[in-house]
Amino acid sequence: MIRTEHLTKQYGKLEALTDLNLEIEQGKVFGFIGPNGAGKSTTMLILATLLAPTSGKAYVAGYDVEKEPKAVRQSLGYMPDFFGVYDNLKATEYLDFYASAYNIPAAKRKSLIADLLELVNLSNKADAYVDSLSRGMKQRLGLARCLVHSPDVLILDEPASGLDPRARIEMREILKQLRSMGKTILISSHILPELAELCDQIGVIEKGRLIACGDVDEVSVGTRGISVMQLKVLSRQEQAEAILSQSPYVRRLDNKSSHFRFHFTGTEEDKAELLSRLIAEGIPVVHFGDSNENLEDVFLAITEGVGN
Amino acid sequence: MGAFFTNPLIVKEMRERFRSKKSIWILALYLLVMGALLFGYLYLEQMNSLSVPGEEREVFVVMAVVQYAMFCFVAPALSAGTISGERERQTLNILLTTQLSPFKIVTSKLVTSLAYIFLLVVASVPLYSLLFLYGGISPSQLLTMVVFFAVNILFFGSLGLFCSTWIRRTGVSTIIAYGLAFFFVVGTGIIVLFLAQLIEEISPPGVHPFDYLGMQILCSLNPVFVMFSILGVDPGDDLRLFMDPWLFFVIACCFLSAVLVIWSGYLLKPVRRSWLGWKKR
Ligand SMILES: Nc1ncnc2c1ncn2[C@@H]1O[C@H](COP(=O)(O)OP(=O)(O)OP(=O)(O)O)[C@@H](O)[C@H]1O
Ligand SMILES: [Mg+2]
Repeated sequence: MIRTEHLTKQYGKLEALTDLNLEIEQGKVFGFIGPNGAGKSTTMLILATLLAPTSGKAYVAGYDVEKEPKAVRQSLGYMPDFFGVYDNLKATEYLDFYASAYNIPAAKRKSLIADLLELVNLSNKADAYVDSLSRGMKQRLGLARCLVHSPDVLILDEPASGLDPRARIEMREILKQLRSMGKTILISSHILPELAELCDQIGVIEKGRLIACGDVDEVSVGTRGISVMQLKVLSRQEQAEAILSQSPYVRRLDNKSSHFRFHFTGTEEDKAELLSRLIAEGIPVVHFGDSNENLEDVFLAITEGVGN
Repeated sequence: MGAFFTNPLIVKEMRERFRSKKSIWILALYLLVMGALLFGYLYLEQMNSLSVPGEEREVFVVMAVVQYAMFCFVAPALSAGTISGERERQTLNILLTTQLSPFKIVTSKLVTSLAYIFLLVVASVPLYSLLFLYGGISPSQLLTMVVFFAVNILFFGSLGLFCSTWIRRTGVSTIIAYGLAFFFVVGTGIIVLFLAQLIEEISPPGVHPFDYLGMQILCSLNPVFVMFSILGVDPGDDLRLFMDPWLFFVIACCFLSAVLVIWSGYLLKPVRRSWLGWKKR
């Protein structure tokens, strides 16, 4: 549904995007992760026909973004990272405006808008002025706006930015609902655990290059041969730490009293060997395994060193 | 007219504009100023001389000049914020991803900002009807004047719209629009006067500066000259162009406005494909 081929974008001398190749299939949710300035928003702008690539091609729903922007726009809902609303409009009028901007006949709009407001849990705010809504509500209204023309593809640039935890969870629930409706979604975020639950695939981008891409587990188990591991012991922390730091595969050892966290560069066999050594030394191990509850570590591990 | 009420942008703009208190205040202020001027002037006239209704062209001229100054002031201000305002509110990108074409966006924006000015004009009709009592102006002159005002508003509106598309910030775009409007009204006049002086200096006696076609054209592009020629107040030398100066002015203004609007539409396109097959940058 979304495909880019050797996509490159330069702002003057700065290369914001270098030879990006992406392929997102229909019905998949693709999470786009990267530090600030990595080029996520740039990619999304190009896909949304708002920015011309310097070279390379990009396709949305089979249409070339440069050659057939009208068709792309019809099959695409785009939500920018920052967007404004019109202050003097009510929520329904706001959606009505965008519905008519997509040439949806007036007769259909009323029920469509009611459905959309229902979907994003804003039915009770239908007659409220848009600028009286809270940040989270505006964000949800923005999402409803992307959906007025029922596009197959959604491109959401940090939809959860600036939201409190509750609002984030609400947003995530809505996105899950959209996923179950079979939409193809490209979503970028800084809050990584959030993506893990929602996404089928993840792409890590850094300095304009895609450095890892694949299924969520694949990426976290280390496309670059790095995984993040956890070790919990009952006592004898010193010996445990000594064993860990002796191992050639352990890096970035982080010790929180009896709870260790480290990057492991070896294979699965090496992991097993490390564990058996710990046991052989008589260290009471309660937990030894991949730390997959925290994708942020994976993110840091993967992007580590690429920048410098 | 049907397209007017179904055009999404126009409907939205109208809703927004007439809901905001600012628009009502501008209207009230405008009527207040115009009314005060008119009545003040009439009052003074009554005090000073025994004027007879029906011979007062002066009142009309003053009214026309004041109103023209108002339009110069209001039209660029209203349209200079249309596109840059959307950009500043961060709604422009969203607007560009809808099925509205850039050209449709700029024309709808122009129509809505001009519609408001035409509302001001309509609101001041009662004041004008008062002027008719005093007369001193023929209906055809009045009609020409209306057309003249209309094309001026169109031109100033397009100018503001263009600046708004071209420049990112509303503040800067408004200042530049005013600058260009000022040049159009005053600058061209000064150039004409300066050139007239110069030609008079260097050319042999007997040759009149306005014998040159270029001077005639330049003069007909200056709204002040044209307005006075419509009103029949002689600016010194009457214009002898190949057509009526006001007609020339109207055609020129419409042409320039069309160029500005089309250019704005082009500038607004997010991804511009070159026609010549080669790519920029
Ligand atoms: N209009 C622009 N002109 C010049 N450089 C730009 C422009 N927009 C972005 N850049 C540069 O391009 C690079 C990528 O920016 P982009 O906005 O795509 O990053 P991002 O991944 O979205 O970051 P963030 O997580 O902060 O949103 C950055 O180095 C940025 O400085
Ligand atoms: Mg961004």
